[in-house]
Amino acid sequence: MSEVIVVTSGKGGVGKTTTSANIGTGLATLGKKVVLIDTDIGLRNLDVVMGLENRIVYNLVDVVEGNCRAKQAMIKDKKLNNLFLLPSAQTRDKTSVTPEQMQALINELREEFDYIILDCPAGIEQGFKNAIAGADRALIVTTPEVSAIRDADRIIGLLEANNIKKQHLIVNRLRMDMVKRGDMMSIEDVVDILSIDLIGAVPDDENIVISTNHGEPLVGTDCLSGKAFMNICHRIMGEEVPFLNLETKQGFFSKLAGVFKK
Amino acid sequence: MKGNVIIKGNKNGIKLVLDDKISFDELKDLVAKKFKSSAGFFKDSSVALEFEGRQLSDDEQVELIDIISENSDLNIVCISEGGNEKEKEYKNLVNEGISNINSQMAQFYKGTVRSGQVLESPNSLVIIGDVNPGGKVVAGGSVVVIGTLKGIVFAGGKGNEKSFVIALDMQPIQIKICDIIARSPDYAFKGKKAIDVKIAFVEDDNIYIEPLNKDVLNDIEI
Repeated sequence: MSEVIVVTSGKGGVGKTTTSANIGTGLATLGKKVVLIDTDIGLRNLDVVMGLENRIVYNLVDVVEGNCRAKQAMIKDKKLNNLFLLPSAQTRDKTSVTPEQMQALINELREEFDYIILDCPAGIEQGFKNAIAGADRALIVTTPEVSAIRDADRIIGLLEANNIKKQHLIVNRLRMDMVKRGDMMSIEDVVDILSIDLIGAVPDDENIVISTNHGEPLVGTDCLSGKAFMNICHRIMGEEVPFLNLETKQGFFSKLAGVFKK
Repeated sequence: MKGNVIIKGNKNGIKLVLDDKISFDELKDLVAKKFKSSAGFFKDSSVALEFEGRQLSDDEQVELIDIISENSDLNIVCISEGGNEKEKEYKNLVNEGISNINSQMAQFYKGTVRSGQVLESPNSLVIIGDVNPGGKVVAGGSVVVIGTLKGIVFAGGKGNEKSFVIALDMQPIQIKICDIIARSPDYAFKGKKAIDVKIAFVEDDNIYIEPLNKDVLNDIEI
């Protein structure tokens, strides 16, 4: 019953790690047993975003090389007992692991976890190949910018070539005010170009920066991006959830601003 | 004249094969020459010395060792008499000699240890610069950071629990001394931090971090 999800984008800096951390935490909040695997060997970040950096003793490369068991390397989350992180190595590079080794590791973890979430590195080289090796499903993160969409399109092609047919799109860092002015592509435009199903849209939110710096994912909190991530989690579990109206909050604020202006 | 003095290597050090047909004074000259020419090869290694081929009195042995020390930088830890029973003992002595020297020797490193970099040394380490988050310092002895320590430090790799870590600004992610690991607190202390020199040391199987004041200084053993 377990599902292996790879979070990927092609382009760097669009929010793969943030998305992985929030979706992993969200699914665990909903009672699923989740392991997050950071496959970005040499440039690990997921441990920092999760606030678990100081607990790392063993890492992914240690597990693959047999220096320790997978159980020893997995770090339990600060708050959730059913959320684990398998951190990546910082002092090695992507070639330390092969796709076959990743697949073997994932098959071992499948027995124990409901969801295995792989945080993919940027690029389409070895790190990407490692990350997608054992995946059942892909979440493609993109921002409404031509460069990110171009890379996402390339990734979708590569995933199809590797027989990962179950693909969903997350549009990240959306700014409704810019969309309204016509300065930014809308969700519909992005979906049109990439022609895969949308699973969620996350607004550009300064709370994300705060939560990342504190090492605490904001999924489930009251802010708009927290709600958006939680909705994505529900949809991953197969529930039908209506899309958030990202404009409402904007409207409320402008109304408020209007009141003060009077 | 060739072959009157031969230096052979064995497991723990060197074996000196001496001719018993020439006079002792002649032999001394030959030994002096031999070691002078190979001083560059031996450098300052710690070895056990074994004599073979000639019966030597205690005084003669001492004389020869003096000659060797004068003509090379070799550190002769003991004289071995050959045979397997004693070999282990000598080996231990040699190893002890090496670790004693190393714990008192420190290597210097100038620069920043950045994320993903590992600075390793079998001895103690003095880092003139910062250790950034994700950077790692591994030392056989103690570690002193003349800068900010925000990364990971493994000290006391040789198993000496007296090893310590000193940093001008101590904010490590993890510190390991021998087999004891300590990690940073999850919630950072807010407000203004007094930046002072701190030391991390082992006491009762725990790692303590304290300001480096006189009391602590008195407890440090090198």
